[in-house]
Amino acid sequence: MSKVVSRRDFLNLVGAIGGTSALIQASTALGLMPGTAAASELNLQAVPANGKSAVILGAGISGLCAAYELMKSGYQVTVLEASHRAGGRVMTLRSGDLVDELGNRQYCDFDDEPHLYFNAGAARIPSTHNNVLHYCRELGVELEMFINENKAAYFQDDNLMGGKPIRNREFSTNVRGFLAELFGKLFSETELMESFSREDAETLLSVVSNFGDLDEQMRYVGSTRGGYASGGFLEHGTAHDMIAIRELINRRFMNEVLTANEGETGPMLMQPVGGMDMIIKGFLRPLGERVHYRSLVRSVQVSNDSVSVEYEQNGTTHTINADYCFNCIPSHLMTGIANNFPTDYLEAMRYIRRGEAYKAAFQAKERFWEKDGIYGGISWINAPVRQIWYPAHGIHKQKGIMLAAYDYGGGMHFTKMTQEQRLEAALAQGEKVHPEYRQYMEKGVTIAWHRMNHMLGCSARWQRDRGGWTDDEENLYHRLQQSVNGRHYFIGDQVSQHSAWQESALLSAHWALQDMDQRQRAQAGA
Amino acid sequence: MIARVKHVLILAALMLFSMQVAAQETEQEREPFDDRYCMTCHGIDGVGNFGVQAPRLAGMEPWYLERQLKLFRDGLRGKHPEDTEGLAMQPMAVLTDESITDIVAWVGTWEYKPAPATITAGDKEHGESLYQTCATCHGINAEGNESMNAPALAGQNDWYLVTQLQNFKAGYRGYRDDDVYGSQMRQMSGVLQTRQDIIDVVSYINTLRKL
Repeated sequence: MSKVVSRRDFLNLVGAIGGTSALIQASTALGLMPGTAAASELNLQAVPANGKSAVILGAGISGLCAAYELMKSGYQVTVLEASHRAGGRVMTLRSGDLVDELGNRQYCDFDDEPHLYFNAGAARIPSTHNNVLHYCRELGVELEMFINENKAAYFQDDNLMGGKPIRNREFSTNVRGFLAELFGKLFSETELMESFSREDAETLLSVVSNFGDLDEQMRYVGSTRGGYASGGFLEHGTAHDMIAIRELINRRFMNEVLTANEGETGPMLMQPVGGMDMIIKGFLRPLGERVHYRSLVRSVQVSNDSVSVEYEQNGTTHTINADYCFNCIPSHLMTGIANNFPTDYLEAMRYIRRGEAYKAAFQAKERFWEKDGIYGGISWINAPVRQIWYPAHGIHKQKGIMLAAYDYGGGMHFTKMTQEQRLEAALAQGEKVHPEYRQYMEKGVTIAWHRMNHMLGCSARWQRDRGGWTDDEENLYHRLQQSVNGRHYFIGDQVSQHSAWQESALLSAHWALQDMDQRQRAQAGA
Repeated sequence: MIARVKHVLILAALMLFSMQVAAQETEQEREPFDDRYCMTCHGIDGVGNFGVQAPRLAGMEPWYLERQLKLFRDGLRGKHPEDTEGLAMQPMAVLTDESITDIVAWVGTWEYKPAPATITAGDKEHGESLYQTCATCHGINAEGNESMNAPALAGQNDWYLVTQLQNFKAGYRGYRDDDVYGSQMRQMSGVLQTRQDIIDVVSYINTLRKL
């Protein structure tokens, strides 16, 4: 009979065989460390008021979360932020805001109204992101639904249908019809009956037929699901003509219509009322004067029992000594700041590459898309702008802010352009979908995250190849996740394996705080 | 008396300055920014940053800094589509002459700190023989020579030297005749035939120190 291995024995075994990183991975799997299944329960041991101190480098969402939790537990907390604002890549642009993109600084000129804002960074909260939602609840951040997919929005590709934009509902109805008919041709009832009972086979075929709205001969001949060409209320509706599949072949669009409601960007998605940075403001309220802006970190020196941070503010150099340091400065900027980190830690920092996301937005003088039956959602364009987003908030008001480009990485197409070129490209590509686009659009803003002062990237790229993480990458990642001397912790989505989400940033902060807490408890118990 | 006049002048200047600031604030109340953002990429006090491939500026000759900033500004450097890092630098340098003078005066105060060597795969002896051509302009100790318009190489980030030598060879830098010294250097880079030659010569430069 084999010996029963306790959970602790198992962890010790894994630790002995695979080293720390294997231990961490295994403990995540066993539920000892925060996963994503539920809001992670932080239960930090309270310290006597101001008995312990922590310095937080960077006021991104991970840094603010760490500062807030530590403050609640009695720590003396200081947050140093290099730029003029908090939030990092959680950035909402409103009237008068500075976009500090190096080489292309702009002020946002939108009208000053509450619904006229642009979420230039984080823009969606999936209902599975429990920790973001937990803080929204705790900090009193009001939420509303965000609309991602809209069947009334368009697909446009110069090579499809002579470049004519086609409604999402028409596109998806025809694609589904084709796929269902194909399935019907491949699997007759008899073939299905080899694996299923007659009744089950009939059910399957009827589901397939319904999926594609097929006729009785299991043929797709068009469907009113794609919308009516005419009639529909006082008179019988007439369906659009069926579109042959060869007219619709576009990998990105086809994938989009079949997966838009799957995974992380599937329903339900939410957004804070008034802009994503309401979450940042929620953290800032209790933190108050603890956050120092325009404070540039010059040096981070870790010893066995403390961390010393030198920073510059208004031309004066200051030094802070703290018991702990939580650092969400992007690793690619931290490599240019003096430090005494161990070599393997530096090696991990130097491995990460920075992503190249780009967004643009216009203020629309009129919400012309609503007159075209579009309320929220995304149109897809087979051009560098990729997407245009219709605001889900401010419905039926006069004006609205429309996302005019979202290139989420893999190229520097827009980043290399001047502001004028960027705006012109967005107009030229947007008017392929809405011929009247240009006449309504004003006050454009663009943001190349690769060039944003004090950030220079979005988001952390650990993987060199699309194929998956190599063992070396896993090891480097888990090295960077570990502390230096139990005193310095990297946080932020750069120490997550799912970057560019606020949830990952929050969980990275929780991971570090729990590690610190466990060490403190162990020390207290020793 | 002179001291008093000075004080009055300073006071007047300060008042004028604060009035201007106040006027600007009431006019737009906008977040201010300045041109001193070099440290974001080039590291604290210009020590260089591998993370964004931005070279060490600390200890760089003011005349060379000024020349490069103006080359970037005027699009004579950093416009080639294959020059990834140059393309990032080019829009940063779209500055007035006054800003450039101000930046050079500031950056010129950063103390020379040799960058740590990162290249281990080079043949230093072979590099030394290759370097003899370079030494004519850049100096025996790679200390630079203003009269030859050649900057110091000693103490520069080795990864940056490798990238730039490759860029010169490939014609991503020094591609315009009106970049007089860049186009000269582009011709000279022909001395280095292979990538290994580049690594070897940079490995040798790693052994040199500016005095």
